[in-house]
Amino acid sequence: MTPPASLSETEKLLLKATREVHDFKTALDEHAIVAITDPRGKITYVNEKFCAISQYNEEELIGQDHRILNSSHHPKAFFQELWQTIQSGEVWRGEIRNRRKDGSYYWVDTTIVPFVDSEGRPVQHIAIRADITERKLYEEELAKLAAELDSKNKELETVIYAASHDLRSPLVNVQGFASVIGEEMADLKKLVQACANGETPELSQVQAIEGEIERALDFIIAGTTKMDALLGGLLVISRLGQLEVRDVAVDVGRVVEMNLSAMRYQLEEAGATVLVEDLPMARGDADLLGQVFGNLFGNAIKYSSKERSLVLKVRGKDFGDKVRYEVSDNGIGISKQHQDRIFNLFHRLNPTDTEGHGVGLAIVKRALDRMNGTVEVDSEPGRGTTFSIVLPKSAV
Amino acid sequence: MSPETIILMAEDDEGHALLIERALRKTGINNPIRRFRDGQEFIDFCESQAGPGCSVREAFVLLLDIRMPKIDGVEVLRMVKNSERLRNLPVVMLTTTENPREVDLCHEIGCNAYIVKPVTPNDFTETIRSLGEFLRKMEVPSLAGVS
Repeated sequence: MTPPASLSETEKLLLKATREVHDFKTALDEHAIVAITDPRGKITYVNEKFCAISQYNEEELIGQDHRILNSSHHPKAFFQELWQTIQSGEVWRGEIRNRRKDGSYYWVDTTIVPFVDSEGRPVQHIAIRADITERKLYEEELAKLAAELDSKNKELETVIYAASHDLRSPLVNVQGFASVIGEEMADLKKLVQACANGETPELSQVQAIEGEIERALDFIIAGTTKMDALLGGLLVISRLGQLEVRDVAVDVGRVVEMNLSAMRYQLEEAGATVLVEDLPMARGDADLLGQVFGNLFGNAIKYSSKERSLVLKVRGKDFGDKVRYEVSDNGIGISKQHQDRIFNLFHRLNPTDTEGHGVGLAIVKRALDRMNGTVEVDSEPGRGTTFSIVLPKSAV
Repeated sequence: MSPETIILMAEDDEGHALLIERALRKTGINNPIRRFRDGQEFIDFCESQAGPGCSVREAFVLLLDIRMPKIDGVEVLRMVKNSERLRNLPVVMLTTTENPREVDLCHEIGCNAYIVKPVTPNDFTETIRSLGEFLRKMEVPSLAGVS
């Protein structure tokens, strides 16, 4: 459209400039989320995209400040730095997580440009934003995957460490004592040869060889049995890693009750008193939780004190979006310096006093890892041990 | 190694301990052997009056396994080398792993030798024989500073 001929040259220039600004604004509104605030931060203008992403309409936003969108994600210092920057006349750039009217979150890549009047006083701030929610979700997902990979790697290292040390250990015995048998056999052959030559060997000589061979066989059998048990343990741990883990509401009270009833005989034999409080629900996998409690109860029986009868307590409580369960006993306890290694695969504190292969607590740790839970130990030698399990709370 | 030197062996595995002792005897090392079933037992012995460095007449050498209950061998080695009194005790790591990181770590802390327990037949005796040679040639310093 050509301007009317009656307009002066200045008016024509002004009109052209206005049209240009209008075109810029139209293009910008098509692309970006735009808001203007006064020097105190009150919103004076929002475009359609701003309303669409925030789910607020223009009337709800004008006159408000941006706190209406605050998602409580960023620390106070973050916004203090933002304000200091724009108040000193500098452009601020950053990524902000905001909250929509319905409570959901969105991320915006933000540039805030402060404008001042001819005397340098702030007039308004124009904020141009782009929706980067999807990218942020990918980034979060990526960080989560990286953390998972890291933890898998650490776990793999532990398994390799355990395999290189603990699986080789019985092998050393099998091979070593096989050589012993070989050596003893050689001595025996000499004796047989001597007999053939008409000599009579000392009975004690034959008995000594017999004794050595029998002992060597015992060590070989124990070694293969041990290897079989360790490989079995390794298999259980590896299956735990591959297992499809459910993430559903679990009645932990029922899981505990079933475990205790399966162990009734051992508990009775230990003369145990069992005290179970009301337990809150958790989110996780009932079968895995069964293994967790089963192992903890088993350990409480195994490591009970000879000086007093076992008292086993189970309690649980909500806190925030999590639940904490405690399994306590009055057993022999674990001294502080040994506590950090008890969850390691194949690690055993008292191998001579009790049966086992150091797999139980490794299963407990691994199972809880898989359910986004944690386990900690608090113990005092001679007083007893408390295992604390933390799991996500069930919404039910 | 003088015949008075006492061999201290920190080894949790009954079978390994017997095999090592048997192989040492076969190579003609007849020194007395005192065995500890985990790192804690050894540390307790060191802290007692009978431990290394307490008597000017006794010399010791330590054969140290790594993977042991309670206090493991690496930790024991660190405690020995950090102790004013025990620093000069010769330590031979005798363990099942050849993990380079662990070998380096033990050398870094200051072990005198690192021997991997072999799992193939005959190698065991062979290895202990070389350990025997090593021990025979070894000058064991008296920890009390008098030789």
